[in-house]
Amino acid sequence: MKKLIYFVMAALLLSACTSEFDKANQNPYEITNQSLTQDFNHIGSFFPTIMSNFFGHQIEENLVAESFCDYMATPTPFASGVNNTTYYIRWNTYWDRIYNNVMSPASQVINIADQGGYTMFSAWAKLMKILGMSRLTTYHGPVIYSNYGSATNGGTYDSESELYNAFFTQLDAIQSTFAANPTYTGFKKFDASYGSKNESEILAWRKLVNSLRLRLAIRISKVAPAIAKTQGEKAIADPAGLILSNDDNFTISLYGQKLYLSIICFEWDDTRMSAGMESFLVGLKDPRITKYFQPATKASLYADHTDYPYKGIRNGAKLVAKDDHTPCSKINDSFKSITKRNYLAASEVYFDLAEAALRGWAGAGDAKTNYENGVKMSFADWGAGGVDAYLADDTSKPINYVDPVYDGVINSFTSRSTVTVKWNDSDTPEQKLEKIITQKWIAGFFNPNEPWADFRRTGYPKLPTVYKNDSSSDWGVIPAGEWIKRMPFVDSERSGNATGVKNAVTTMKGADLISTRLWWDTGAANF
Amino acid sequence: MRKTMTLLCLFIGICWASAQTKITGTVISSDDGQPVIGATVVAKGTSVGTVTNVDGNFTISLPSGSKTLVISYVGMATVEAAPQNGMKITLKADTKQIKEVVVTALGIQRDKKTLAYSSQQVSGDEMLKAKDINFMNSLSGKAAGIEIKKSVSGAGGSTRTVLRGSKSWSQLSEPLYVIDGVPMVNHKGDQSGMWGGTDEGDGLSQINPDDIESVSILKGSNAAILYGSQGANGVVIITTKKGKEGTTNVTFSSSTLFESVMSTPNLQYKYGSEGGAKESWSYTPGNYASNYVKDFFQTGANLVNTVSISGGNNKTTAYFSYGNTLASGVIPNNKYVKNNVTFQQSTKLLNDKLTVRSNVMLTSEKANNRNTAGYYLNPLTGLYLFPRDKDFSSYQNNYQVFSKDRNMYLQNWFVADHMQSNPYWLINKQPKTDLTKRVIASVSADYQISKKIKFQTRASYDYAVKSYEQKYYAGGNTVNISENGRWSYKKFDDMMMYTDGIFTYTDKFGDFSVNGVLGASYQKSVLGNGVSVDNGSNSLLYPNEFYFQNLPTNVQVQSTYSGEVIKEGAFANAQIGYKDMIYLDLSGRNDWSSTLVGTGNDSYFYPSFGLTGILSQMVKMPSAVTFAKVRASYAKVANDVPFNKISAANTINSSAGIDKNTVAPFTNAKPEMLTTIEVGTDWRFFGGRLGLDFTYYNIASTNQFISSSNVTAAQQLNGYSSFYYNAGKIVNKGLEIVLTTIPVKSRNLEWKSTFNFSRNVNKIVELVPGYPDRYIDMGASEGYVPRLYQGGSFGDIYGLKFVRNSSGQIILDATTGAPTKTKDPQYLGNLEPKFSLGWSNGFSYKQFALNFLVNAKIGGKCFSQTEAILDGYGVSERTAVARDNGGVAINAIKGTTPVTKIDAKLYYTTVGDRNGVSEAYVYDRTNIRLTQLSLSYDLNVSKLKIPVKAASISLVGNNLFFIYKKAPYDPELTMSTGLGSQSLDNFNVPSTRTYGFNLKVSF
Repeated sequence: MKKLIYFVMAALLLSACTSEFDKANQNPYEITNQSLTQDFNHIGSFFPTIMSNFFGHQIEENLVAESFCDYMATPTPFASGVNNTTYYIRWNTYWDRIYNNVMSPASQVINIADQGGYTMFSAWAKLMKILGMSRLTTYHGPVIYSNYGSATNGGTYDSESELYNAFFTQLDAIQSTFAANPTYTGFKKFDASYGSKNESEILAWRKLVNSLRLRLAIRISKVAPAIAKTQGEKAIADPAGLILSNDDNFTISLYGQKLYLSIICFEWDDTRMSAGMESFLVGLKDPRITKYFQPATKASLYADHTDYPYKGIRNGAKLVAKDDHTPCSKINDSFKSITKRNYLAASEVYFDLAEAALRGWAGAGDAKTNYENGVKMSFADWGAGGVDAYLADDTSKPINYVDPVYDGVINSFTSRSTVTVKWNDSDTPEQKLEKIITQKWIAGFFNPNEPWADFRRTGYPKLPTVYKNDSSSDWGVIPAGEWIKRMPFVDSERSGNATGVKNAVTTMKGADLISTRLWWDTGAANF
Repeated sequence: MRKTMTLLCLFIGICWASAQTKITGTVISSDDGQPVIGATVVAKGTSVGTVTNVDGNFTISLPSGSKTLVISYVGMATVEAAPQNGMKITLKADTKQIKEVVVTALGIQRDKKTLAYSSQQVSGDEMLKAKDINFMNSLSGKAAGIEIKKSVSGAGGSTRTVLRGSKSWSQLSEPLYVIDGVPMVNHKGDQSGMWGGTDEGDGLSQINPDDIESVSILKGSNAAILYGSQGANGVVIITTKKGKEGTTNVTFSSSTLFESVMSTPNLQYKYGSEGGAKESWSYTPGNYASNYVKDFFQTGANLVNTVSISGGNNKTTAYFSYGNTLASGVIPNNKYVKNNVTFQQSTKLLNDKLTVRSNVMLTSEKANNRNTAGYYLNPLTGLYLFPRDKDFSSYQNNYQVFSKDRNMYLQNWFVADHMQSNPYWLINKQPKTDLTKRVIASVSADYQISKKIKFQTRASYDYAVKSYEQKYYAGGNTVNISENGRWSYKKFDDMMMYTDGIFTYTDKFGDFSVNGVLGASYQKSVLGNGVSVDNGSNSLLYPNEFYFQNLPTNVQVQSTYSGEVIKEGAFANAQIGYKDMIYLDLSGRNDWSSTLVGTGNDSYFYPSFGLTGILSQMVKMPSAVTFAKVRASYAKVANDVPFNKISAANTINSSAGIDKNTVAPFTNAKPEMLTTIEVGTDWRFFGGRLGLDFTYYNIASTNQFISSSNVTAAQQLNGYSSFYYNAGKIVNKGLEIVLTTIPVKSRNLEWKSTFNFSRNVNKIVELVPGYPDRYIDMGASEGYVPRLYQGGSFGDIYGLKFVRNSSGQIILDATTGAPTKTKDPQYLGNLEPKFSLGWSNGFSYKQFALNFLVNAKIGGKCFSQTEAILDGYGVSERTAVARDNGGVAINAIKGTTPVTKIDAKLYYTTVGDRNGVSEAYVYDRTNIRLTQLSLSYDLNVSKLKIPVKAASISLVGNNLFFIYKKAPYDPELTMSTGLGSQSLDNFNVPSTRTYGFNLKVSF
């Protein structure tokens, strides 16, 4: 007996066996880096996740860019009706999405790919970073890009001019890597955007690189016209070409998930057609209205135009109860079943070319043709008919907006825009630009990032102001007749990287406020 | 307790008495000359004995040859006397020692006077006076330094227990629960939060309270060192009932308690809605139905029946019990069923040198529709917010309507809204079933190697299968439920194996005594290993079919895993005593933990020291002082990090892609360290009629495991989006005072009164080194931000306040006239009470006993989102009064014009609702309540010639009423027993009172 006890004791005391610790401390339902090397998943399997994070959800996009560019508006008086949509900042989280879900994993992939010599994957991940960051910078201006992840100066922001130069330089490198591997098939398994193009897959990515370069060049065309022209012409002249057909549209798969906008609209009842969309689409008799939206569910709402049974909500509206405006137009039911969404489409490229033509960039072609092609591409993409009649319409103009919900004239506005659709060669460049950007805005529906940037840069389309302006010195005062210019830096940066933010602000045109214009938003004339 | 013991002893006495010489006598106390009731009288050298009755008389049948009687009584010096008929024995108060045996770590019994740390023991009988399905709720107010919060989820809900304050911001600071020396699993299920959800219970409700002999609370980490890091936050030791030698006892205990809602929020039924709005903001008074809120709640019932059989001889004892619990809650369709079977035996072998014990506890627990809290899918939102002018009864009677479009029944409600649904739809068409089947089996062997050395080894296996299933029928609100319904299902196992081996050594060298413990333990747990699925708002393939085949392709069926932890420990403890006056306690432990593998820190050592001096032994004390002791101790306990934090892998997401792990490897992780200093003193006066225990402690937690999950882009070193680090320092300092008195002690009447006082001061000395402005949010929700700053303390809450000018006037918006609120959350107060008080009283008069317990929490804040929403919707009584009075009185200024009255709707829709002005909904947490009242009567069965050994009946009431309360709800209930949402009310089920009777019969 004693022996047995001593044996047990000794076993207990001495064994302190830690050999099973390694396995114990791993979650068996997680996939290890080791396992991921099979089928090259260690470099490829993260791309779907990265790409599905380019677009933000409700408080990152729908109540930010999508409200500010007047695509959608909320019937819900969030935070007692004082919130982003009335220019008092409550939500500012797109930053975290991009850094945590795009920059962070893409940087990891670049490290792994570089170590393993997978130059194509490394270039692809670098492109992912630009696809994400070129959107984020339209919110805040300076962002942390070149020094991201650095142990010594990871908190240093790129000023906007540095940032765009960095983008262009990186795009050069990415393009040359892609061009050197035209038949590479390694992406295919992970590439829901162009994987089905088989041997044209890499060519399609090269078209995206060019089209993205053109987009960024147009964005800075007023503030840095020389660089913009050089980069724009480079994009146009590249042998791979641009995205000029809807087949080449750069789309992001929803990977079986629902579109955020669809959830916000149908399940949460927190977003509806905007008054701006109603004013332009109804006014211009735009056939795409039936593709974008569905009729309002209360006839009294659209009594001002019963032939177009749609009703939007003014952004920055006075809202009392949510139910007051939920009967306004939802997005079309087809949004419930879409499987992918555009990141950059042929119509946008044509509108960019149209503007490039106005600005005299070599190779841009004819402004009118590009303008009309842009509209046609959009109609085709949405399966809308009647494009020729639409392009020929030189009388229909945006209508005034009436919100019949509350007594008195509340939320209603007179349209600032008198734009028509039909191109007129004798128009001034300014008038032509208004047509181009207005149509670019309509065509870009539910992809609000670039349209919000265009609106700030060019002032088009002539959208209404907010009805209720709650801006204050807390986040910056937006004067009457003006619009929000940017999103403030996020709180975590303001408190956790105060020096970085302070230095970034010195490169801006003003303080870290929503009233400070971004670099490319010069506030000056368009021509 | 004593009475039961008395009776029990009496029967043992009777059983063993054989027909030899009968001696009668009387025992009295030298103090007051009164008879001593329950004194033990034993024939020396035999097991023949009896106890004195209420008159101090005894009768004993002496075995032949017995020449001496030993007469003893707790707190009095033992007397030996020659047996003599009609003898009178006088017992004197024992000034030398008050022996109080307490159960300490690893089941080791220690004389309380030698302990260097504070420990409090509560008997099972004491707890049963406030019988609760979760035994921890019965402890509230009965011991100092323990904060117990009860979940709002109803019968079988979980509890949040913290001993001496929160010590970590990443882990729960909950004590370890131990049954008969062996740790048990307390794996808490999901908790509700602001957006809804349900508390899924914890493992504690699975213990049958009738099986509990006593509960010891070891508050400091000193006491816990023998369990290693898992005992760092204190230990609750449950000692179960055992079979007793020499008698067979059948006990039947039955408790019938009714439960009813104490109060609902103060609502108005005068003003309805306008223009079809959800909100009741009309200014035209009406006469609307006002009874539907009250009528919604029902009277619940708890029926607990336990039968136990125990007995044995001098070799083997056994205990068996079967318990059945049936409960129905205050919300219709909330039901709870529990069955407990416990079997325990103990056998002595090898000339009584070896004792083998085994214990098996089986539980099956089923809860239907546990109460929810929060905004979503909670019947109370729709119930309270319903527009007053509409007809509730039509929705109550027809909660579903036939839809011709879909050829099926759908919800009938006046609005499609995310926050409110038809309450009757919710309680009927979203059935939730929580099932647990659990076995805790243990076996132990004690072997007396020699007179001085004992070896004990134990092994236990705690295994539970749990499933949680909720079927949401099509027709629920679209934010949460797909048009074809929603199925939420998970099933998992919890397993823990524990084994240890311990040598104990007891010896005496002259004036020195030595108690030594040397041992090692091994523990492995795998929790939450199973499967889960929830389609949420992704549509099921076909309506109202709830199983895997009906899932759409974009819903992931997930393998779940809460973690595996292996802990190994080797420990030693020595207590050296000198002349029964000074005791020195030394302990050391080395742990090996799997959660620190790969860091080089997976093996760690920590020591503790304690010193106890019995003053009353050292110096001559005045006669009033019966006993005096001072004690001091110092302990370090290292605590490992949570599972799988060193180097996490990647996850497959529902988009068929892979989420790259972007958390930096934590290869330099260190264990958290708790350093406790505790000093205390215990005094007994007047032969134990007055006692005072006083404890001061200082617990510093350092090397905290911190997750920087929201690091700024600037800190994303090498592209890792978050990382872990060890830093920070939290200090808890506190006082615990236990005052016990027996103000009245006479022949028939005794009054015992106990005060438990505790005060804990928590301070965050350091959070993130080098960044004094950084903070950590502990589960913020709209308007309620529990935020930790350096220099702050646990329970600090922040929220929006009114903007005021220098003279204190609220600044109104220049155009709208609405009150303005601050941009950022401001400090609103601290949730923790300044101090807690429990005052328990017991009166016994002949066979009657009356007990009551008053609990008080003084100071602290609480926050109600319910009240804010009720105001925003214009359904609170306040909003009606304001409308009656033509506005809300306010000290405000608009531009330069002072304003003293403001429109009710403007005010309450700005201040109330979601994201209003939090300041307006912060309340004083102070509350004093009658926690427990019971009256029991012991039947004098010995005089009735029936085969019943003892019988008692008692009337009990729990949580009967508040003596004082400021908040509009019960702040001691919690919607979540997790880290966040403390003292927060978000459509919680109101506090309930229970009342009924207990019956106990022994055969």
